[in-house]
Amino acid sequence: MFQRRKKGEKGQGGRPKPSFRDLGRAIRYLGHYKRMAIFAYLFLFISTGAQLMVPQLVQNVLDAVTSGMIAQQIGNVPASFLPAVLERLGWSAEQFDTFANRPEIALYWAILFIVIFAVARGAFAFSQTFMSEQVSQGVAFDFRNELFEKIQRLSFSYHDRNRTGQLMIRATDDVEKLRGFIGQGLLMAVQALVLLTGTLTILLFTNFRLTLVILPVLPLALILFMVFGAVAQPLFAAVQEKLSRLNTILQENLAGIKVVKAFVREPQEQAKFHVAAEDLMNQGITVGKVFSFLFPVIFMLANLGQAAVLYYGGVQIIDSTLTFGEWQKFSLYLIYVFFPIGQLGFIISQMSQASASATRIFEILDTRNEVMNKPDAKPLAAISGKLAFENVTFRYFGGGDPVLSNISFDAAPGQTIALLGATGSGKSTVINLIPRFYDVSEGSVTIDGIDVRDVTLESLRSQIGIVLQETNLFTGTVRDNIAFGRPDATDEDVIAAAKAAAAHDFIVSFPEGYDTPVGERGATLSGGQKQRVAIARALLLDPRILILDDSTSSVDLATEAVIQRALDKLMQGRTSIVIAQRISTVRNADQIIVLEKGRVVGVGTHTDLMETNPIYAEIFSSQLVEDAVVDEETELVAAK
Amino acid sequence: MMGPRGVLDREILKPKRVGATLGRLSRYFAPYGLVLLLVAGLIIASTWAQVISPELIGQATDCYIAPAVARNAVTNASGADGVAIPGMEDMTGGDSASQSNCWWETLAPDAGSDELVSGLARLVLVIVALYVGTSIFTGLQFFLMTWAGSHVLRNMREEVFRHIHRLSLGYYSKNEAGDIMSRITNDMDTLQQVMNFALLQVLGGVLLIVWIIYKMLTLNLVYALISMLVVPVMILATLWFSGQARKAFRKTRQEIGNVNANLQESISGVREVQAFAREEANIENFRVSNAANRDANIRAVAFTAALAPTLEALGYVAIAIVVGVGGIALLRGQTLGGNLVSLGLIVTFLGYVQRFNQPIQQVSVLWTNIQSAIAGAERIFGLLDEAPDIVEAPKPVEIGQIQGRVEFKDVTLEYNPGELVLKGINLHAEPGQTVAIVGPTGAGKTTIINLIPRFYDAKSGSVTIDGVNVRDMKLDSLRSQVGIVLQDSFLFSDTVMNNIRFGRPEASDEEVMDAARLAHAEDFILSLSEGYQTILGERGGGLSQGQRQLLAIARAALADPRILILDEATSSVDTRTERQIQAALEKLLEGRTSFVIAHRLSTIRNADQVLVLKDGVIAERGTHTELIDRRGAYYDLYMSQFQREDAAPATVNGQGPRVAV
Repeated sequence: MFQRRKKGEKGQGGRPKPSFRDLGRAIRYLGHYKRMAIFAYLFLFISTGAQLMVPQLVQNVLDAVTSGMIAQQIGNVPASFLPAVLERLGWSAEQFDTFANRPEIALYWAILFIVIFAVARGAFAFSQTFMSEQVSQGVAFDFRNELFEKIQRLSFSYHDRNRTGQLMIRATDDVEKLRGFIGQGLLMAVQALVLLTGTLTILLFTNFRLTLVILPVLPLALILFMVFGAVAQPLFAAVQEKLSRLNTILQENLAGIKVVKAFVREPQEQAKFHVAAEDLMNQGITVGKVFSFLFPVIFMLANLGQAAVLYYGGVQIIDSTLTFGEWQKFSLYLIYVFFPIGQLGFIISQMSQASASATRIFEILDTRNEVMNKPDAKPLAAISGKLAFENVTFRYFGGGDPVLSNISFDAAPGQTIALLGATGSGKSTVINLIPRFYDVSEGSVTIDGIDVRDVTLESLRSQIGIVLQETNLFTGTVRDNIAFGRPDATDEDVIAAAKAAAAHDFIVSFPEGYDTPVGERGATLSGGQKQRVAIARALLLDPRILILDDSTSSVDLATEAVIQRALDKLMQGRTSIVIAQRISTVRNADQIIVLEKGRVVGVGTHTDLMETNPIYAEIFSSQLVEDAVVDEETELVAAK
Repeated sequence: MMGPRGVLDREILKPKRVGATLGRLSRYFAPYGLVLLLVAGLIIASTWAQVISPELIGQATDCYIAPAVARNAVTNASGADGVAIPGMEDMTGGDSASQSNCWWETLAPDAGSDELVSGLARLVLVIVALYVGTSIFTGLQFFLMTWAGSHVLRNMREEVFRHIHRLSLGYYSKNEAGDIMSRITNDMDTLQQVMNFALLQVLGGVLLIVWIIYKMLTLNLVYALISMLVVPVMILATLWFSGQARKAFRKTRQEIGNVNANLQESISGVREVQAFAREEANIENFRVSNAANRDANIRAVAFTAALAPTLEALGYVAIAIVVGVGGIALLRGQTLGGNLVSLGLIVTFLGYVQRFNQPIQQVSVLWTNIQSAIAGAERIFGLLDEAPDIVEAPKPVEIGQIQGRVEFKDVTLEYNPGELVLKGINLHAEPGQTVAIVGPTGAGKTTIINLIPRFYDAKSGSVTIDGVNVRDMKLDSLRSQVGIVLQDSFLFSDTVMNNIRFGRPEASDEEVMDAARLAHAEDFILSLSEGYQTILGERGGGLSQGQRQLLAIARAALADPRILILDEATSSVDTRTERQIQAALEKLLEGRTSFVIAHRLSTIRNADQVLVLKDGVIAERGTHTELIDRRGAYYDLYMSQFQREDAAPATVNGQGPRVAV
């Protein structure tokens, strides 16, 4: 287990190569929200268009002002010279009339339009962002649902290989990264491109030469932004790593404070913490250095662009190849050039992350489920409970050494089969094959003569009751948890099951009785209480076949007897497969199967095996002899 | 770097005593006072540069460009034929407003194009220098602030960590480790962000806004007031939208919490989900919480999505007002506030109103961050002010190597006032004796042993070792001679080797391995991927409970204490292995004073004394055989706990397990 996990970590640690094919596949999820997405993009064009109009209108205002000023001056010229002057200025008589006498009209119009476009820009930009958020949240919703569905259905062997935490990160962080890119990043990229090309086109048409002046700055800025994106990511990751190292020390010292104090480890732990804190600080300062350099430089580039326009534009005005309004328009448009370049740089760095996330998400979605209904699977009719293993061999993940080799046994309806063996002998694997948590590699498992692989999973599992060693309860009430396998059970059924499992008394002792919330966010039940709820849960199914992992758990010894009684009741009249720990279970079993290293090394009753099977005798004495001693002593005491 | 979303979706906390907390925080900054002074100077310098550059652009307009605009009209009109047109001559000086507004350089009215261009070039160079300066100043202030902030934070972190070690176990029984942890990490995180980033942004932003307003007002009072009409609207809009967004994000935090809880539960419980064929129902459940999360997010984003466009639109309106009002005044030759409006002034104002937008947004969004950080600092100080219950005596006794005679005299103890957990405990253990403590859960077994290494102090009575009260001993020397193996043995994410070496850092590898062999831990250690050098996951993840206990036993063995405490030390070791280490344990107990809380019979039977604890008092004491013979509390306990096997079949007949007694 430990080694396998190690390998898994390495596999995860290496960054999966971002494949843009996966990203493309993820982008197709936008299709689920086609109308909304189309509107978002449509609004984007409108809002960007409105934005592009504003500097133009500012130019109109300023040109109206300067023309008006000039026209006022020309008004002083004697009437006879006027036509000649107008001709040289390229103005018609009407224009002159407008400029001279009603200069403010153009100005009013332009201002009115600025306000109109400002409102339009605001409204459409809002709608665009809002709709893209709807789309992106929708896409995230879809991805999460699909992941959840897949994860819920994937067989045990998948979950053996993957840890809960990792799967959760897929469904949260990775989905979030993908959402950020597909929902917003793409839109931002399109917006940036539209704004950039629109602005550059207008600038080129306004004044070709002036545009050439600022053009070289653009690739420089883009490179800087991309450098920033590339540099920032690993830097932040490094900070995060150092921080988590620091937090691990903190966390361990809080949780293990007793051990730290008991062994007087404070000085060493403080030294460790000091090193980690120092490390974190230095990393933080490194990040600070990079940012303190990059940000101001990028900012400076934008400003130098403005300075260039100020100078070259100014020279052109002096040469009268540029109007004052055009000059101001240029400087306003310049902001529109730098802003989208920044966005593009950001999106490019976001894209590689998103594509790595997409790869990881599709890796899960594309995992082939090893245990699935056959296409022609039929529901399993009500069973009587005859169970047979025929030459069953099992290998994990379809390879390696067999965990079980050639296991065969039969259980008649109502029999109790005890499985005995050391840790790692394959006991758990045997019971996991019955409800098809794994599929056999060779041989077959049959119930009432029907191969478990030929029936539907649901009909199979609903007729098998399982009590595992470690019990998980789910968020909900106690009642919900008992009715976990049969949500339609009546209150009477639930209470009857709880009573049979010796759980009723402690349940009604809660203020809210059966409505007491439990699970992650509810009251915590003790280990013994949980186990009894689990027994009630299995009992409620009234299964013909019962699977019990009866290993000692860290339950308070006094409650163990109560649980034992409940288990005995549960087993009555059902075919029971039990991983046995208690001497009573073993002694009373109809058959005891002794496993060693995945092989059956003995079958029979207690008395048979004690006589014929040395391995059984050894296990019995090592594992159970202490209790036997107690028994003897009790007898001794009783005899006194 | 951080969109409004990233900031607005945080929890806000309101500080209670801002003054006192800031005062205390500033003490941490005291060693870096010079750096902070420098930062303040840099903030002023960079803000000044940002305020002055639009004005200089205005000067460029009025001194060099406006004259050219006017004159070009004349030269165009006069034409190349050289015929003078009467009435045009007086225009050559440009408009009078520009002339009066230009203070940078007064050129002769008939200055040529070359003079204008070279003048412009000089001014632009000054502006470029200003831009470069701004960047350097900004970069430097960010760096210095990060530097100082990181140092302060490191100092605070280490102080908190040291304090954590000082606090006694009583504190940790009242406060969950997880809670303390998340408080420290979250509070430090907000503090860090504020110190490195938010504080500068807010200070710089406020200064910039105030300075620009002041500058505009002094340049032209009336024009400034009209131009700034939208500023209050901007502020109100920002406050309203971010307030709404915060409320909405509170809901999203709950919803994403639900989604995560649902995921966590369904994935970790997937085996049971499948065993009970609950996949469909679970998927449906998840869909519901997932959808709620989506809707909450969409709602919250509606507010953040509205903020930026609103401010942008208001910014355009501000531009319209500046050019409109300025342009009309210019055309009509009217004065605004007694001064003529020039083209340059319009350009300057245009530059200023564009600079309002960003700082307003930043200040309003980050301001609450600063509040949260102060509240966070307050809580950290609260933790630092927590006085430890257990402090070393002012003049502690140097005890040297102890013998191990342990004595309890009338010891009482309470965790909560009025609830006595121990009620007058007396016990006496000679050096080398083994004392077994038995009793039901909650009887106070662990509490007794916690008093020996002074994890708690007795309320009354005394605990002495070799006749010296533990309260008078040096804590280090006391604890280093008491070894403990706990039921839930805590391991650190370090190598197996270092985990065993925990209690004796100077032990050699050979000694560590000896200890591991003694505890029968070597077999499984060698089966790990890298043997003794295998790094254990957090809290020893990857090992079974039993394996962890074996490592803890090895750890205690290596520490070689005079007094050994085993608190359910082998409860999770399987019976087979336990039998194997039994001999080792006995060897370990030999020659040490040992206190054993155990549920296995063999250990108890060999003890020199068995103490039966019930409700905080010692109900019975004696050896195993004596107590069995007495047929009292020990006998009952023993019967109910250890004699259980043959009772089980009896239940089938509806009879209890005690039927055999």
